[in-house]
Amino acid sequence: MEESDSAVIADSLDTPAAFGVIFDRHGSTLLRFLARRVDPAEAEDLLGEVFRIAFERRSTFERDRDSARPWLYGIAANVVAKHHRSEARRLRAMSRVSTDRRLEDDPAERAVAAADASARWTRVMDAIGTLPEAERQVLLLFAWEELSYDEIALALGVPVGTVRSRLSRGRARLAALTRGRDTTTDVPLTPCDAGGER
Amino acid sequence: MTDDLEPLRRSRPDRLLPDDPPDPEILVREKARLMSAITGRDGAGEHRRSPSIYPRLAYRDEVAALDFLTRAFGLVERRESRMEHPEGMLAWLEIGDGVVMIGRAGEERHGLHSPLEAGAPTAMVNVYVHDIDAHYRRAASEGAQIVMPLEDMFWGDRRYEALDLEGHRWHFAERVSEIRARPPTR
Repeated sequence: MEESDSAVIADSLDTPAAFGVIFDRHGSTLLRFLARRVDPAEAEDLLGEVFRIAFERRSTFERDRDSARPWLYGIAANVVAKHHRSEARRLRAMSRVSTDRRLEDDPAERAVAAADASARWTRVMDAIGTLPEAERQVLLLFAWEELSYDEIALALGVPVGTVRSRLSRGRARLAALTRGRDTTTDVPLTPCDAGGER
Repeated sequence: MTDDLEPLRRSRPDRLLPDDPPDPEILVREKARLMSAITGRDGAGEHRRSPSIYPRLAYRDEVAALDFLTRAFGLVERRESRMEHPEGMLAWLEIGDGVVMIGRAGEERHGLHSPLEAGAPTAMVNVYVHDIDAHYRRAASEGAQIVMPLEDMFWGDRRYEALDLEGHRWHFAERVSEIRARPPTR
């Protein structure tokens, strides 16, 4: 019914204004991604940057893909990486929010670890900030943006196997960081790291 | 299998602060900037701001509502502002200098209900349009339920009222003076 993103981008090579349709379809998704990852006050500027870069690079978009969304996520992830100070501010702010909220009225979390819930939530946010960049990107594209392994691979331009191994390493590291001081459980740190990087 | 990521999932900023969605105005502004950069025409400042008051209407099926409102009532979606969530879509529709926002009905969505659930509409959206006769014909032929006929009213409007797919009530009008000032089109 609707033209695919790849057809729209092909049109935009001759008719640049056609690229506006790509913004129409994905602008709000990318804005939400950026607002999660950087200081919300800066998300708008970065959104503009992402789409200007995408427009300039539109001839490199691979035609055999229908959706431009993973490609745009990849550009946005790079833009976030260039603004790591803003990202760090965002994580600190959210860490404070999790402390303030304490999530004490959250039955699921209470069931998991009543003794240490708020501390753990805070540690999650702090821990994300200390992960290696490559692992943080994969982990957050997976857990926050709900992209599939294939989509993450397309976004970051790496093989799916690399996505899997970064994800499992990031997971293990996150588990170690957040459970480090937790006395309630003693789970092995690397439950899903058996495969390693291939 | 993915339980270990649950704390991370739930730490997503918009889940910790669910009342903090991005401003749709940002999308309108950035789209205008992008188009200005692409076309070289200086239109970056031309986007229209939302009016100070605009309603939000709730639908059980907001996607069908969007299709109907654009097709039958000639509202124009600000496509770049559309937000798709697993919990429902939000869209902003314009006509003239007015805006309505539509979203899915539900207790957890600001406690807003569709007239389908409430049993009756509890508000009416008043819209001035250009060429009310053509508007009326279009709405009727696209299946809007006409609940007040098209007629000239003593206060100077020519108007009709219609219900949309889920029973929200719309009042469409044009000023009789403007109709008279217009050269006849037929």
